[in-house]
Amino acid sequence: MSLKNILENWSDYRRTAEDGGHHDYEHMWAMAIDLNKCTGCNACSVACYAENNLPTVGKKRMMKGQGMHWLRVERYWDEPDMGGDEKEYQERGGSFLPMMCQQCNAAPCEPVCPVAATYHTPDGLNAQVYNRCIGSRYCSNNCPYRLRYFNFYSYYEESWPEPLNMQLNPDLSVRDKGVMEKCTFCVQRIRVGKDAARREGREVHDGDVITACAQTCPTEAIVFGDMMDKSSKVSKIWAAHEVELGKHEQHKSDPDLRGYRVLEGLNTDPCVTYLERVREA
Amino acid sequence: MFVSEKNLFKRPGKKAGQRSVNKSLVLLFALLTSVFFVGGAHAEVPNATPPKGTHSGEDVPQPIDFPHDIHADINGINCMYCHTYARRSKVAGIPPTSKCMGCHSIIATDKPRIQKLTEYWENNEPPEWNKVHDVPDYVHFTHEKHLQRFVFNNEGMDVANVSEVCAFCHGEVKEMTVAEKVKPLNMGFCVRCHEQNGGPSDCWKCHK
Repeated sequence: MSLKNILENWSDYRRTAEDGGHHDYEHMWAMAIDLNKCTGCNACSVACYAENNLPTVGKKRMMKGQGMHWLRVERYWDEPDMGGDEKEYQERGGSFLPMMCQQCNAAPCEPVCPVAATYHTPDGLNAQVYNRCIGSRYCSNNCPYRLRYFNFYSYYEESWPEPLNMQLNPDLSVRDKGVMEKCTFCVQRIRVGKDAARREGREVHDGDVITACAQTCPTEAIVFGDMMDKSSKVSKIWAAHEVELGKHEQHKSDPDLRGYRVLEGLNTDPCVTYLERVREA
Repeated sequence: MFVSEKNLFKRPGKKAGQRSVNKSLVLLFALLTSVFFVGGAHAEVPNATPPKGTHSGEDVPQPIDFPHDIHADINGINCMYCHTYARRSKVAGIPPTSKCMGCHSIIATDKPRIQKLTEYWENNEPPEWNKVHDVPDYVHFTHEKHLQRFVFNNEGMDVANVSEVCAFCHGEVKEMTVAEKVKPLNMGFCVRCHEQNGGPSDCWKCHK
């Protein structure tokens, strides 16, 4: 995307919900996460740290909210009296919600970037270009999910002392101070998958590309795939739970269907569907 | 057919392997012909506009002054014979010493550079070649895709002329001893070529 291209096609890169988001794609990478299966083990988060060169920031900075976990597992605690149900053996305890960038099709972060460092790719991904980012942090403040992370320090100086720097993934850069970053749906793996398909002269099949979190999940709660491929696992899950893209409210034939998208009422049109946890109640 | 390399070691960095006899005459003749046949010495790459831009990089010292001109120009060895990975991977690859020794256990064994190479080989040490063409870590560049576009999936392109495609970014390596960086390889250079040759213009295609 050269400067000329940006200036000419300015509106294409800055579409918001009012413009109908982005719907002319080559692929449409999406996820479905079954919260029934999620045990909150945090393996996905660890996998993400390893795959995406995420720095460890230390306890103090983590408590300030400066952690760089692209995928965080949010914990919610349920007390029996919260449900308002009189049942004796009501379910209690922790429940978990893995949160990564929702790759919104009408992403609130995109139109506010003053330098077009974040934009939508023809793959339906919400891209972040580190070289272009000037660190204004507008995007992070406009993200309703709080899933963008800012490099307040040059974390790489301390995170990987020799010989740990050898573990860094060469397929993506190590970010420096003053740059915003976020989950990319493992775009480096998507690139490899697409290149391999092209080399063999075929379409990308379901299962060719798998993100680090989905690969690691021991209960296979996270499913990743291409929504444009109607036979893919992920689009079948979306269809089975009657969740559709391009809507801010899902009308379901059966209230027992568990699929929902987080904060979809804000009309962000996210690409991650969560399957609600079934409770004893 | 291999050419003897007299006076080869006196002029490193310049085009080696040519006799100086009648050099001026040859030059004059080349100059005259080039007026009539612009670029006639080079095979054309079909469906491609070569990127423009020059750069004068600093000399990168190498453990052995590898003469690209003798191999690629005089003896006409295909670039991909040694840089095997170019066609199927991100990097073009430096050949293993065993590949050098495949020929040089027999050919030109009396030359000092080959003797140095043989020494490396017998000591089980690889020569530590220095990288000449390096793009920053935040750039995703793959040789494979570029070769597919310009060579393998390019109608009318002869694979034997692959060096013309290599020259887009690496310059006329055929005329160099050790490789020098003669193209800027910066973003403007890449983007202009992408615009002219229909490459992708999506940031995330190249930036990572």
